[in-house]
Amino acid sequence: MSILKLNVIDLEKSEYKGGKSSLCPGCGHDQISNVIIQAAWENGIKPEGIAKMSGIGCSSKTPAYFLGKSHGFNTVHGRMPSVTTGANMVNKDLSFLAVSGDGDTASIGIGQFIHAIRRNIDMVYIIENNGVYGLTKGQYSATVEKGSKKKKGTANEQPPIDLCAMAVNLGCSFVARSFSGSKKQLTALLRAAMSHKGMAIIDVISPCVTFANNDESYKSYNYVKENDEILHIVDYIAHFSPIEAVEVPAGEYKEIKLFDGSLLRLQTVGNEHDPTEPVEALRAIHEADKEGRHVTGLLYYNPNKKTATETLGLTKTPLMELPDSELRPSKESLEQLNKDFRTK
Amino acid sequence: MTPRVNDFTINIATANGTGSQSANLIILHSMYEMGVPVSGKNLFPSNISGLPTWFIIRASDAGYQAPGDYTHIQVMMNKDTWDKDLNNLEPGTVIIYNQDAKLPVERDDCIALPMPMTKMARSISPKMAKLMANMYYVGALAHILKIDDDAIKAAVTLQFGGKEKAIEWNLQAISEGKAFAEENWDYESEYLVEAREKDPNSYLIEGNEATALGAIYGGINMLSWYPITPSSSVAESIIGWIPKLREAEDGGTTCAVVQAEDELAAAGMVLGAGWAGGRGMTCTSGPGISLMSEFIGLFYFSEVPGVIWDINRVGPSTGLPTRTQQGDLSMLYEASHGDTQHIVLIPGTVDECFEFGWRAFDYADRFQTMVFGFGDLDLGMNRWSTAGFEYPDIPMDRGKVIRSQQQMDAIENYGRYRDVDGDGIAYRTLPGSGLDPILYRGTGHDEEGIYSEDPQVYHATMERLKRKIEGARDILPAPIIREEKEKNIGIIFYGSMENTIVEIDDMLEETGLSVSTCRIRALPYHSKVNTFIEEHEKVIVLEMNRDGQLFGILRKELPVNLLSKIQSVAYSDGLPPRARVYSDMILETLGEVI
Repeated sequence: MSILKLNVIDLEKSEYKGGKSSLCPGCGHDQISNVIIQAAWENGIKPEGIAKMSGIGCSSKTPAYFLGKSHGFNTVHGRMPSVTTGANMVNKDLSFLAVSGDGDTASIGIGQFIHAIRRNIDMVYIIENNGVYGLTKGQYSATVEKGSKKKKGTANEQPPIDLCAMAVNLGCSFVARSFSGSKKQLTALLRAAMSHKGMAIIDVISPCVTFANNDESYKSYNYVKENDEILHIVDYIAHFSPIEAVEVPAGEYKEIKLFDGSLLRLQTVGNEHDPTEPVEALRAIHEADKEGRHVTGLLYYNPNKKTATETLGLTKTPLMELPDSELRPSKESLEQLNKDFRTK
Repeated sequence: MTPRVNDFTINIATANGTGSQSANLIILHSMYEMGVPVSGKNLFPSNISGLPTWFIIRASDAGYQAPGDYTHIQVMMNKDTWDKDLNNLEPGTVIIYNQDAKLPVERDDCIALPMPMTKMARSISPKMAKLMANMYYVGALAHILKIDDDAIKAAVTLQFGGKEKAIEWNLQAISEGKAFAEENWDYESEYLVEAREKDPNSYLIEGNEATALGAIYGGINMLSWYPITPSSSVAESIIGWIPKLREAEDGGTTCAVVQAEDELAAAGMVLGAGWAGGRGMTCTSGPGISLMSEFIGLFYFSEVPGVIWDINRVGPSTGLPTRTQQGDLSMLYEASHGDTQHIVLIPGTVDECFEFGWRAFDYADRFQTMVFGFGDLDLGMNRWSTAGFEYPDIPMDRGKVIRSQQQMDAIENYGRYRDVDGDGIAYRTLPGSGLDPILYRGTGHDEEGIYSEDPQVYHATMERLKRKIEGARDILPAPIIREEKEKNIGIIFYGSMENTIVEIDDMLEETGLSVSTCRIRALPYHSKVNTFIEEHEKVIVLEMNRDGQLFGILRKELPVNLLSKIQSVAYSDGLPPRARVYSDMILETLGEVI
């Protein structure tokens, strides 16, 4: 008799799965969906406690393909952050897991993206970034690099918007970049993002196999594999599992303690990177960019930022759980108010 | 000559940002304090300082609240509009003017009463002279109209609540103005105020504040908003009342407030809040509704509750941002692309602003859709009388929300979008509950909420949505009908036109017509409207816009046999409705059809 592996809350991994994907075979987004299933299962998050949020586009369709036991909302193009904000205001205990694309985030939705960061909405925000609009058949998006060329048509001439650099500048409390082909790195970063309180952004380069997986495209599998500038090797150690024996000599790794007590271990591979320094994060992004490379890893981390609901000073109980008696002031209060208006 | 008692209009011409609003409200409140039926209209520019502003005060024992047809007393403080203000006056008008403007008043046919207001104000405070000068026309009017000193004092105290120095200085200025008028003007006034019995429970309040309080008592727990005239004071008033009325025992607030980055985001936040089981609301004006329209379609199609208040200003485009209109009605009713239909609540009084303020959430939860509150600048930003707001007489209606597995099991063949009760309204579950989780979407979906492009599924969904909103007709606030015995002429109208209809009605009845009125208070409109039309010979649909927007809605939805009975009278110039303009148009229209 085979016994299926259970996670810390005794659930099988199948409890975290979703429907069948309708994306193109080999799409990077499907790999990310698998990582989401893996990370949520490994972290032992209750599926019903998660709210899956998305906008419009290939990436935004994926919430149908993971976490089938979680509620979700596939909203409108570029406006997912505002819907998430409203839901977060009335139920701050939900774990918001948002999936967006580069068109959804860097063009039509860039304003809402910026303001969600500014407010520090407590959410994980994954950008499945392939540099093209897939659902409308392959137009360039605003994150495509200058000189990059998709399968058909001419090379892109516009400079890209680097969403990580922008997020660092805006003081986003958790900024990471990864690659859909780097399952181990992406899983560790996503698990860390899920353990973080505040807005966590992971910009995941996710090649479009149909429209931009040719070698001249800077977001193709081959190109990213050859030009991945890894900041550090990341390992996630969950708060509920014993800390494993240290395998690397002291001084060659850093550990970051996350909100739920889990650790993210960052093992240096090249130059030392201090993720608490925004200027270092920007330098890493810009230097890699000069070389036409993609820097991946945890770019920036700030655990001390208040979330939107903390800043507002909401009562402890999520607002949607409050009884009517707490939402509607008393009859006496209205009588008093009428009286005050008459006499004041 | 017998003086006109409690029956005149005062027009006060000042510049924006000179503190004249305080003086104007003191006049208004002092008369109100005496029990005089009075209304005030602020005609202000889209500007912070310097552009012309007019404040119109009408006293009327008949209860007329529209600006009258004539100005009986003109106060002139603004050099920029001096000539225009003068030229507009009818012969015989009393002109109270600031002599320090040093401009001529060449109207021998009027009664010109000068006062060196700025100079006199300087003697109280050189620094504050520009602001204080306005208090001298308060004194002048107090003299002419014989306003009680006690009433003036009460109004000044109300205006400058708690600021002793301000109360002292302003009272001094008013009394100096009054003394100057007594000593220097040889004029026996034709206009007087006379105290009337005042309802001790009544007070004046702006429609927007009433709406805000309604929302607070409706259990709003998420307000998102983006500033826009004339709706900002709804949000600001809610924000102002939250610490007093919506604080939990732990000291935290029970209503989150987010100033959004734009109206799109504000609507998105309301959607998110409604989806997650909250009571979200935003307030805006026409331009904001245009921006929110995409989300409004998502509310409708994904069936999520939410409340949006539109305080109408003059469109199209930026239009006249500080003027009033009923120009958004057809947009609200069918906002967003594709076939949609939305519930619209239309208050006509401050009491209804309060009532619909809380009811809107109940309707939104009950019908699982976006509900509009539809006001306008005139009702929202001017002060109107109420005898006090009435506490909600029913508990909150949270609609068909399944909160436990037991409730879920009790429903046979549950599906998020399956109409198991036959009223078009399906049951929903909330995120976090773990009960039948689905991915909400704006794309086509079947009864289980699963993506579908099936023609029959789409058609059935749209038919059910239509049935659902149709079902609201006779549940929403019924029209207020004032009927004559003789069913001659009927007038259908809505919203703030309520404040002018009595005067219009009186003008029409003077010509021998028998006029009944029907004020529609919600869309889709109540079945009683059909009966009203059936029972009257001719029915005028009266509104404050160019195209006759309610007329258009009626023409689309009425039974064909009633269509020939209705005629449109629509007019809009940005100003609050004047009774004469509309009564003349009605007579002209009836002339054509009778």
